[in-house]
Amino acid sequence: MAITDQPFQLSSPVRLTPSVKACCNTDGGLGAGPEAPVVALIGAPNTGKSTLFNALTGAGVTMGNWPGTTVEVSRGVWRSTASAASCQCESCSCDAADEPLDITLVDLPGTYSLDPHSPDEALTRDLLLGEPIAERPDLSVVTCDAARLTSCLYLVAQLRERGLPIVVALTMADVAAKRGFEVDASALARELDCPVVAIDPRRRNGLEALAATVRDALAQPEPSRRPVPEGVDELAIEDERFAWIAHVVDVASGAAAQNTRTWSDKVDRWVTAPVIGPLIFLAVMWVVFQLTTSVAAPLQDLLDGVFAGPVSAAAVWLLTTVGLGDTWVQGLIVDGLIAGVGMLLTFVPLMALMFVLLAVLEDSGYLARAAVVTDRLMRSIGLPGRAFLPLIVGYGCNVPAISGTRILPNARQRILTALLVPFTSCTARLTVFVMMGAIFFGPYAGTAVFAMYVISILIIIGVGLALRGTLWRNEPIEPLVIDLPAYQVPTLRLTASVTWLRLKGFLQTASGIIVVTVIGVWLLQSIPATPGYGFAEVPVAGSAYGVVSASVAPVFAPAGFGSWESTSTLLVGFVAKEAVISSWAQTYAVDAPDESGAPGDLGAAVFATFNESSGGHPIPAALAFMVFLMAYTPCVATLAAQWREIGGKWTLFGIGLQLVVAWSLAVGVFQIGRLLL
Amino acid sequence: MGINLAKAPLRAPLTLVNAGSDDAVSRRLAALGLRIGSDFSLISKTAGGGRVALVAGTRIALGRSLLQELRARVVD
Repeated sequence: MAITDQPFQLSSPVRLTPSVKACCNTDGGLGAGPEAPVVALIGAPNTGKSTLFNALTGAGVTMGNWPGTTVEVSRGVWRSTASAASCQCESCSCDAADEPLDITLVDLPGTYSLDPHSPDEALTRDLLLGEPIAERPDLSVVTCDAARLTSCLYLVAQLRERGLPIVVALTMADVAAKRGFEVDASALARELDCPVVAIDPRRRNGLEALAATVRDALAQPEPSRRPVPEGVDELAIEDERFAWIAHVVDVASGAAAQNTRTWSDKVDRWVTAPVIGPLIFLAVMWVVFQLTTSVAAPLQDLLDGVFAGPVSAAAVWLLTTVGLGDTWVQGLIVDGLIAGVGMLLTFVPLMALMFVLLAVLEDSGYLARAAVVTDRLMRSIGLPGRAFLPLIVGYGCNVPAISGTRILPNARQRILTALLVPFTSCTARLTVFVMMGAIFFGPYAGTAVFAMYVISILIIIGVGLALRGTLWRNEPIEPLVIDLPAYQVPTLRLTASVTWLRLKGFLQTASGIIVVTVIGVWLLQSIPATPGYGFAEVPVAGSAYGVVSASVAPVFAPAGFGSWESTSTLLVGFVAKEAVISSWAQTYAVDAPDESGAPGDLGAAVFATFNESSGGHPIPAALAFMVFLMAYTPCVATLAAQWREIGGKWTLFGIGLQLVVAWSLAVGVFQIGRLLL
Repeated sequence: MGINLAKAPLRAPLTLVNAGSDDAVSRRLAALGLRIGSDFSLISKTAGGGRVALVAGTRIALGRSLLQELRARVVD
């Protein structure tokens, strides 16, 4: 297994210059304005960098994808004061020395050095060292973990050798103290020849001192470079660099003290251990899965009831009052917009809960351990261990699972994982499986449903292997090298902040796509394709929706379910699997099955349709239908999440991949099944 | 020279004598503090056949394939 020797290059230049001027009482926006200084926040992963960013910018955070990459750079306004942090506006009567200074703070992806190993690290390097020099940040705040100073100082050494203005923010002093040693910030500053400020961003201690130091440093001329040997090869330069780091650590803390064993090590002996470690991991995942589905489900039902009941009723009353009741306008607003947006909002509790749990796992330090435990399994399909987490989440709901791929540091691995997530069988599909099982398999319904989950896992492995053997063939898989951070108790503030940012990002993107799609489906169902009916009055079979379904149906004839009724359900399922059963009921004009899953008249009608379309082989046709339903595009919400995370090109590729896999498997299942059953 | 890390004893003081043939991986390890001449110890085994190395306060999980490439000698 090899890592490419070539440093990563970004496809287009990236710039830090802010483009929007923040007003007096506004913390948000893209930055503090074109005249404001730009300060980059950099450092090794898990050194408290993002926590510091949130603490300094508050709610003023924007996320954005830079051209040519899918990695994210957070940007916000840091309203710094030299002393007290009391000033809230620019027109007050504060002492001039205390006057707030708005700084554009840019949080860059974590990196251990200026020699990038991933697109994220390449982005950081290019932003710090890119041309022209005027586009570079005015100063960099480098977070350094006091408990593992050696691994943090390599980046500092490289920055000092290039003469870049930096301030070192020393974090995790409490962790170092628990391990029996202290870092002398004054001695460290003297040895590094740059300002050092001890801070605790989790508890917001030392932030004013950091502000004062940064403001002072911004006013200073460019610092001198740390001298490096001349006329020698890179190896000799590295030797000197490491000797310098060892000297600095020795003077500032005493190197030997850092190797004491901690309770964190004792926990790791179990959490990452062979046999026990994977069992603990499965237990954690089970808890995540259970909490997400069981806690969120009642809230989803509640929201669904609110939109289907009082909200829709109020809209109907209002429209009737203004004379638009029972018109196409009512159909569009109530059956289209309210139903569509309502469906999106029912996802919010589930999404929020999933994001909370992900944030807790991230903040606690457990995710790094989970990556270690699952690394070997995931490596077989070309992914690192931590990719297992979003795949597990996908069995609850694909939408947060797609967003969950952000925990992966490598962009290509994020894309591969996001392409595999739709093959995880979400709970929305489960409702259809249960109904199909009851209709076609009687006492063996449970086995049929379980088989779908087994097939789902096999598809993920198969598609993963296929992609690794083709499009991901030359993709390097790095050997496992993971820096294990100390365990920490997750903070409420950080968890809430991260959850809200992710939730907001999802809603902003998904809402537009869902509204457009729902309106499109409603329009198709309203447009008459047979004579004698008006707009929004035509039966489904005679609508454009029915006619289109009938025209697509022959595609599924080799799979045994080539009827317009089954096809229309799959078209609705493209929007959301939650709507499959109700749309079937609408198509057959009977009541949807009750909560027990008993099929009733709907079951008889569906059975008759499958019996006819399969030429007398309804069981294999039903199995093929279930396989197709499991493997093809989950819903538009998942597409929206994919579009946001991996872009339009890969989202379209994923749709094609899902359809090809689903159709091929469905045809295979039916053709083989009809020979046996 | 030295033994590969898969065979190195747990909790014994070690000195790295060979950082493997992959330059990029060697650089990554070096940035984390593990380079030729570094003193460290392996403190636990991990699922999948890897080890956790403790070097200068940093805990680094190393995969099984990498253990075969890295060599160390036990410090007396």
